[in-house]
Amino acid sequence: MKKRINYIVLILLIIMSLNSCATVKPYEKMNINDPDMKLADRKSKKFHTACQVYREGASGGNGGKTGGGCGCN
Amino acid sequence: MKIIILSFVVFLPFSIFAQQSADSTLFQKRALETTELSILTSFYTQDGKNAAVTGGIGSEQLDDYATNISVSIPVKQNGVLSIDGTVSAYTSASSSNLNPWSSASNGDDDDNNPWSSASNGDDDDDDDNYGTGINTGTPWAASSGASLQDVWINFNPGYSHYSNDRNTIYSGNLSISNEYDYFSLGGGVGLVKLFNKKNTELGIKGNVYLDNWRPEYPTEIKTYIENNLDLNSSFFQGIDILDQSGNVIDKLSSDVWKASQNNLIDNNNRNTFSVTLSLSQIISKSTQISLFSDLVYQTGWLANPMQRVYFADKDNFYIGNASSIPIYTDESNKDVFQLADDIERLPNNRWKIPIGFRLNQYFNEYIVLRTYYRYYFDDWGIQSHTIDVEFAIKIGRKFTIYPNYRFYTQTEADYFAPYETHLSTDEFYTSDFDLSKYNTNQLGLGVKYTDIFTKSHIWEFGLKSLTLDYNYYSRTTGLKAHIISFGADFVID
Repeated sequence: MKKRINYIVLILLIIMSLNSCATVKPYEKMNINDPDMKLADRKSKKFHTACQVYREGASGGNGGKTGGGCGCN
Repeated sequence: MKIIILSFVVFLPFSIFAQQSADSTLFQKRALETTELSILTSFYTQDGKNAAVTGGIGSEQLDDYATNISVSIPVKQNGVLSIDGTVSAYTSASSSNLNPWSSASNGDDDDNNPWSSASNGDDDDDDDNYGTGINTGTPWAASSGASLQDVWINFNPGYSHYSNDRNTIYSGNLSISNEYDYFSLGGGVGLVKLFNKKNTELGIKGNVYLDNWRPEYPTEIKTYIENNLDLNSSFFQGIDILDQSGNVIDKLSSDVWKASQNNLIDNNNRNTFSVTLSLSQIISKSTQISLFSDLVYQTGWLANPMQRVYFADKDNFYIGNASSIPIYTDESNKDVFQLADDIERLPNNRWKIPIGFRLNQYFNEYIVLRTYYRYYFDDWGIQSHTIDVEFAIKIGRKFTIYPNYRFYTQTEADYFAPYETHLSTDEFYTSDFDLSKYNTNQLGLGVKYTDIFTKSHIWEFGLKSLTLDYNYYSRTTGLKAHIISFGADFVID
């Protein structure tokens, strides 16, 4: 467990340090601003995600419930 | 060394402030231009053969109707107030079997025993059986007691405040949930910073849930413990208990059914603390990615007191029809139920760490690819991988279809074992197949209608979009589910 956490912290460090400084200008963001490009689950899948949380051992990491709110896993 | 690395991770993002260039905007748009209303309703149905309430075997049939209403209201120039409410009503064969037996046979008044007719569904039979003391129940069908159905209600108000340059967003929310055996009170705060002309977004959020069980237990366990281990009082009065051979036991002898432990829940609390970190980055004019991770700690009574466990090293005892004992684990068993050895017991703390990654790619004006991957692990032994791929395919100016596929795989929890496998000497045990080893496949299709100019109106509400989503979910444990959702988004003129 501790070894796994250290490994993940190291990966996060590497990714953050590679954070690109290249910028896309506001007037070039037409494609990025498409509603389907949003970096989150579609709102209409709220209950689909909730059902996955209820039925699976894993939760969180996707904008859904991380824990609490119900007696489920 | 670990402290140094963790400190660097925490403080590195704030060093990026130096790269931020000042935005100069002459015109200030409101954080939210107009009030928005979203309504989402869904129907979910599942079935399987590994119900946790009946110890890892039995019907998992469940139907759920849920509706969510969400309103976002602009507050002056820089604020957004959101109010979110959900009502979810379910019926479940599994939870109905907290008491799978009829109350008529032991002469109890219905006012004293809230659980009524069992799965034979025939009150006349129950009355006929009164003199013989026969009760019937089965893990393979729902009983008609009060625990057959329930309503979960959630209320979630929140507020977000945007800085004038829109590069900083502060947020806070409350969460209140209630169902018949569980109450939850939660809250959270969040901070989002945007950099590099809004090409980079860094977020941190903290949540706390202070929850309480109002525990419901399997009838036999609760009655046994609350009546000082007496097998001749309350629910057990006048009821024959059978051994594995179908013989009626002498309740005053030493060779009788006993619950493995003589205590129920000793701590009703169930608390969750979580921190979420997120990083989003625009890679190019058509590609953006995000990385996010949660650190979740749960403490309190983390097991479900409704869920039975049967031990391999304990004799089996039943209530019902003796001739059905040999076929107990088969769906053809209609009229015998095995007394539990204990309720599920799990550690009183748990660490969970999911790490997720999203990549969205805009190919052209017709196709967008949305991908998601998550790795999850916890200190209960569960590791899982999730892959989700979805296409957004635009058809004309108003319609978009979303074919999607999701694959999920997990290892089993250290404390899981199927029906009649655990030993009574184990400290922690569960037969909940949600914590077992399995893979899932989920196929789905969504359709969205967008009214770009909100020409259609219902009273003051201008229709922004309509969505319809369907998913089929299949688990290698045999659980299968369908869910269909319908949503409508409006803007208020």
